[in-house]
Amino acid sequence: MARVRILLAVATYFGYVFIIVMYSAKLVKYLHLPMHLRSEVYPVIPGDRTSKERSCYEDLDWWTRPRRHHLLQRGWFLFSDYFLLREYFRRDRSYWLFLYPWHIGFILIITFHIFCFFGALASLLGIPVTDGSPSSFGKVIYGLILATGVVSFISGLFGSIGILIKRITDKDLRHYATPQNYFTYILLLAVFLSGLYSWYLDPAFSEYTDFWKGLITFKPIDVEPATASHILLFAFLLIYLPFTRSLHYITRLFGFLFIRWDDKPNLRGSELEKEVEEMVRLKVGWEGPHIKPNLTWKEIASEAIVREKEQVSK
Amino acid sequence: MSICKKIEDINRADDPLVEIKSTDLMPLPNVSDHSIQEPSLKRLTEEQKQQYEGSLDGFVAIGLPRPKNKQEEEELVRKFLNGLSKLFSKENNWTFLQPLFHSLEYCVKCQLCSDSCPVYVASGRKEIYRPTFRPELLRRIINKYIKKQGALVAKLTRSDIELNFTVIARLAELAYRCTLCRRCAQVCPLGVDNALVSREIRKLFSQEMGIAPREIHELGTVQQLKVGSTTGITPPALKDLLDFIEEEIKEKTGKEIKIPLDKKGADVLLLHNAGEFISWPENIEAFAILFDAANINWTLSSELGGYDGVNYGVWYDDVQMARIAVKHAQVAKELQVKKINVGECGHAHKAFIVIADRVLTGDLNIPRESAFPVLENLVLSGKIGFDPNRNNFPVTLHDPCNVVRLMGIVEPQRRILRKICPQFTEMEPHGVDNYCCGGGSGFAVMGGRNFPDWRIHISGRMKLKQILEVFENVKAPEIKKYVCAPCSNCKGQMRDLISTYGLQEKYGIRYGGLVELVVNAMIDLPKPFIEWEQ
Repeated sequence: MARVRILLAVATYFGYVFIIVMYSAKLVKYLHLPMHLRSEVYPVIPGDRTSKERSCYEDLDWWTRPRRHHLLQRGWFLFSDYFLLREYFRRDRSYWLFLYPWHIGFILIITFHIFCFFGALASLLGIPVTDGSPSSFGKVIYGLILATGVVSFISGLFGSIGILIKRITDKDLRHYATPQNYFTYILLLAVFLSGLYSWYLDPAFSEYTDFWKGLITFKPIDVEPATASHILLFAFLLIYLPFTRSLHYITRLFGFLFIRWDDKPNLRGSELEKEVEEMVRLKVGWEGPHIKPNLTWKEIASEAIVREKEQVSK
Repeated sequence: MSICKKIEDINRADDPLVEIKSTDLMPLPNVSDHSIQEPSLKRLTEEQKQQYEGSLDGFVAIGLPRPKNKQEEEELVRKFLNGLSKLFSKENNWTFLQPLFHSLEYCVKCQLCSDSCPVYVASGRKEIYRPTFRPELLRRIINKYIKKQGALVAKLTRSDIELNFTVIARLAELAYRCTLCRRCAQVCPLGVDNALVSREIRKLFSQEMGIAPREIHELGTVQQLKVGSTTGITPPALKDLLDFIEEEIKEKTGKEIKIPLDKKGADVLLLHNAGEFISWPENIEAFAILFDAANINWTLSSELGGYDGVNYGVWYDDVQMARIAVKHAQVAKELQVKKINVGECGHAHKAFIVIADRVLTGDLNIPRESAFPVLENLVLSGKIGFDPNRNNFPVTLHDPCNVVRLMGIVEPQRRILRKICPQFTEMEPHGVDNYCCGGGSGFAVMGGRNFPDWRIHISGRMKLKQILEVFENVKAPEIKKYVCAPCSNCKGQMRDLISTYGLQEKYGIRYGGLVELVVNAMIDLPKPFIEWEQ
């Protein structure tokens, strides 16, 4: 049992450290990508398409007018869409029917673990985390652990089964699905199913909270096989996720804010103009017949003019 | 029958990989009552098949010659892979690395974008035209040849594409089966832009391998930088054309207007698409009449490249795009104008005002503005008198993708039409949700081999359907109808759609720009400006 106890603790520690390090590395890599030419798609302000789809280019002498930012609308749209998945609802209701609970299951399993951590911490600080706790904080945390855990497992399980069936039966999805996609669905299905089973055996998730207390105090505890299998599967999921496209939960924000809605104009003397100056000084390595070697972007772009002027001076 | 269902099928030897039949295409309204005849699709001749790789769908946009031997094929593969790796380097692709990276890394292939693609839907949902097909093929090639994934990972990600001449040629052709309208990008919940991937594939072929459709590269950007215009119009030829246009104005309106040319210190440099000078001079005339009536201090340029606002580079090549944008800005700088107005050319709008925004710096960063808010100001300000009854015929508006979805200019043109066209009716969908005319991203000018047939029957099919539907209740040919297409490229496509399907004879449908309608409604003109015979 000691070996299992240590394995569960090490797997969980490693899983969390691994996913944080890997996700951070991926995010850093993304955020270090160079600035790009504009490629926004309108409407750049989400919401009512009839009144807010306009751009500054609808105005006469647009560069003389103050720029509209709409940060709040953009932020709210992106945040709320985590809980709505609007485009899926609008365009493919049957897919949304399974994708939605699957995503909710995923979001809630993360919050379940966060609440378990705080529950364990409260318990260590002497605040009982139970239904009959004298502390209202203890009661609330208990309720949140229970609610997020149960809803996550049920919702996630329903979604996992549904999305797996949908991927297999819908030819549009099936032809593009890879063995890795199916592995991901099955793994998540197993995580949710094991979580649900462990809740069935331990309706208050007290074993899970105690396991977290053990992790915080570095004194791992023994748990029943059902809880152990869920812990191990979840730890494996943490290690596995960085090898999937799961970071889209975060990068979708970049995709919208930094690309699709990036309508920032390059005004004379602006910081953006300095960044552009830096980019056009980079050397071009393309080898097409119309591209002279060893020139910078700036030199290549003005090459035709330079050549023309040389001819005139001759 | 050849059927391509999966990405891996790209390796299959079938010729063509996918057969396009008229009967598979999206049905058109009116076909059942036989008023619209479906013309047959032109097939490649045996000789053409021997000469060019056309095994994707039996159509040829590029016309890649077959390699003569194994060495040539290996060299082609090597160059392709070189170019592919350059797409992911900051030095070579700072221009679009971030959106490309995002789209390749974070697409979950949910296929939500499929039905937003007019090409995919109009083709009868042929798999190869699905917006996710190209990116997924490219992704699998990258996994195998650039990331060099091991055998197990390759199996897990199905990255088992065998790269050879046929696959490369099919991919090159496939990049020219997307009009870059970016409707797919608009609906993606994850911010993925599959149309951009098509454009980046085109770029790889052009910038590394020198492969691009002749009409876009050799006769397009190269010619524009060399002789001044993609149309071949030289500066002296331009002056002759302007003389002709001035005479036409006098004949139509009685006005003697001298079109200002190379006027230093003018407030505005007006940049037309040079296609207008040859194919639609009435558009140039209308701008001249209107600007003259409004006393605008404006000019055209006769400098090399200064009279053709097109920038084909945006469709396939960053280097050519930057060269042309710089050239345009240089012309404006030398004329010392306060601003540049871009006329009725969608991609000139997008290229010069939006994309080149992060290319032009310092004294080349001259304010650039669309002609639409300028026209709106002239129509709504009350400076000039208009009589809407002069435009009292059914009018609909085609939205050029580059102007609406890719720039957000939606309302000015509508406010104009509501003011001066009493029978203005919207197509559905419209505005930022519009459908491409089908000639976007260079297709309207690509006339080689049998590609125009593909453009008219597949990429233009959704627009044709919209036009037929919007005029459903006014079908009679004696009722003259006007499709307002304020973009030179879109007008080229309208011309071909209308003539191929006989829409003018059968339904009295004609097309034209926006400024023509504006001038047609001017009360101080002795007779209508628009001539109905085209």
